[in-house]
Amino acid sequence: LVLEDPDFIVLHGLALRRRSDVEGLEQTTGLAREVIEQALDRARSANLVALARTHYLLTAEGDAALGLVYPKRFAGSRGDRRLAAAYERFESLNRDFKALITDWQVRPIGVAKLPNDHSDAEYDERVLRRLCTVHDRAEEILSVLSCSSPLVARHVDRLRAALERAESDEPEWVSGVRCDSYHAVWFELHEDLLRLLGKSREEDR
Amino acid sequence: LTHQTAFLDEGIASDPELVGGKAASLARMRSLGLRVPPAFVVTAEACRAYFKNGRLGTALRSEIERAISRLEQETERRFGGVERPLLVSVRSGAAVSMPGMMDTVLDLGMNRCVEAALECEGGGRFAAETHARFRELFRRIVLKRADAAFPDDPIEQLLLAVMAVFESSRSRRARAYRKHHGLPYDLATAVTVQAMVFGNLDGRSGTGVLFTRNPATGEAKPFGEFLAGAQGEDVVSGTRTPDPIERLAEALPDAYAELLAAGRMLEVAEKDVQDIEFTVERGTLWLLQSRSAKRSADAAIRIAVELANEGKIAREDAIRRVTSEHVRAVQRPRLRDETRSSALLLTRGDAASPGVGAGVAVEDCDETESRSAAGERVVLVRPTTSPQDLHGMIAAEAIVTELGGTTSHAAIVSRSLHKPCVVGCGDGTIAVLVGRSVTVDGSHGEVFDGSLPVETFQTDSHPWLAQLDEWTGGRLLHRLDE
Repeated sequence: LVLEDPDFIVLHGLALRRRSDVEGLEQTTGLAREVIEQALDRARSANLVALARTHYLLTAEGDAALGLVYPKRFAGSRGDRRLAAAYERFESLNRDFKALITDWQVRPIGVAKLPNDHSDAEYDERVLRRLCTVHDRAEEILSVLSCSSPLVARHVDRLRAALERAESDEPEWVSGVRCDSYHAVWFELHEDLLRLLGKSREEDR
Repeated sequence: LTHQTAFLDEGIASDPELVGGKAASLARMRSLGLRVPPAFVVTAEACRAYFKNGRLGTALRSEIERAISRLEQETERRFGGVERPLLVSVRSGAAVSMPGMMDTVLDLGMNRCVEAALECEGGGRFAAETHARFRELFRRIVLKRADAAFPDDPIEQLLLAVMAVFESSRSRRARAYRKHHGLPYDLATAVTVQAMVFGNLDGRSGTGVLFTRNPATGEAKPFGEFLAGAQGEDVVSGTRTPDPIERLAEALPDAYAELLAAGRMLEVAEKDVQDIEFTVERGTLWLLQSRSAKRSADAAIRIAVELANEGKIAREDAIRRVTSEHVRAVQRPRLRDETRSSALLLTRGDAASPGVGAGVAVEDCDETESRSAAGERVVLVRPTTSPQDLHGMIAAEAIVTELGGTTSHAAIVSRSLHKPCVVGCGDGTIAVLVGRSVTVDGSHGEVFDGSLPVETFQTDSHPWLAQLDEWTGGRLLHRLDE
């Protein structure tokens, strides 16, 4: 099986989102709606993708097909030591990022840790500043990696957009689950890098 | 008459519009006779003049220099002096605290000669660390560029820092925030210039924070942290972990007693629980800031009632301070300790998101979604979670994972969804749980066999809420029941 663009991009985007409607895939891939729908139709007839009501997901066959394509498609990247070093830096940044998101959601009150109700503007501001720092470091690392995957540059734009929403006092854009929040986009980005370099997620090891 | 600068003991220093909220609070502390490091404020009026003229006027410059002379007299130190040098902190202070404002610059007034002078007071290492800290902060916050020339002259450092604070109130971030909150577009900010005190001078120095009551439980017992031989930012940056406040009581009992007395006084004056930042320098206590403490819902209710019982606030105030959100949080179901200790514990992990949820354990997200839609209560149990599992997590009463910690995807998403969650229960958890009826206690990180009785709120289990309800003639809880 050979997956050409845009079919590859759509399937790969679906793998990053894991489960997505067409709007979500538009966000992730930046492709036009008709292009995505046509690619999904082809993938469904090849049994690579299944539709559960409004959301698409990869079938086991689809996942296996992508698994065969990645090593060829990303062969150059996987052998590149500069990329490997950048990825290691991203993994280390990822640990800071996850700790920061936890601090965003859980606020220490004395010895207790309580859900952050976002009533303390100063506390939120300190965490947001850390997020800005993480973002700057991420942009720097990802500039090295952006040549290797077609979607990395797009993730960066989406992260920036989420950060701007979060900074305009919309706290759900940090880690909310019902929008393309910073955390949601970061998860896709991380998944992209893992697939690109053939690594597995730390939690899953 | 214009007021471009103000000292804390001047009447105008109590006006937050002019000097900023923090400086006004320092002025109140000083008026109570509490020991606050001497400080003056470059006022919001000076800021407005700066915006209008595009530069610091000569009159303001000389006023700042005169204020520094007075600070020198009060501290018996000299700014840029080669003996007993005066160092200051520079911080922003608007009437409304808002994001995007300049961070605090510490140890300003430092250069190589001053470092040598400081060495006589606290040793070479202390002097070098202080100098390095200042250079790092000043370069990052005020100069903002690695290649900018570093000023040696303390007055020049101070004027640059004052301008940087003024400019920060026009930063993109501060403007966006004001726009969002309907605050004036060109809001001016004041600048507080305060003599530094050092918690890292010797073994009889340190820094910490005191809550006049426990902010988690509301218990009327002082609570806090102390870190010996350190400055405040050592605590904030997390490089060192502070000790409980009792450590200060053992090491420096006089300073501790004075701190508690100050806490009692501030609590009465401010009519609320205070969160007080302090530094001890060679055994002498200095108060740096006091503000109303952030607190849990439990604490908010208990504190409001007890302050009223102690006559510190009126009953009407106590009622006003408790929000329906507080009451709802306290009424959230929890497991009684007796229930927990007598139930069969199936597995334990990290408490990732608080609350209690019960249902039949299911591994598959689609199954979770369909059974929940059919009216069944379901607990989702996964090895880990990913965005693929979101629909299952939304449908579940609670979430349990085998792998991952309190920063894992499952933890982060559960908290966003306000669902109880226990993570990292270990391999084999799915095999043990699936198909069983279980109860998940996300507050304690425990999963129990069966559907346990949760303690829904009873007035006798929360005497303070019951008291409050009585004061409202039963309207408080009645209103929420509707």
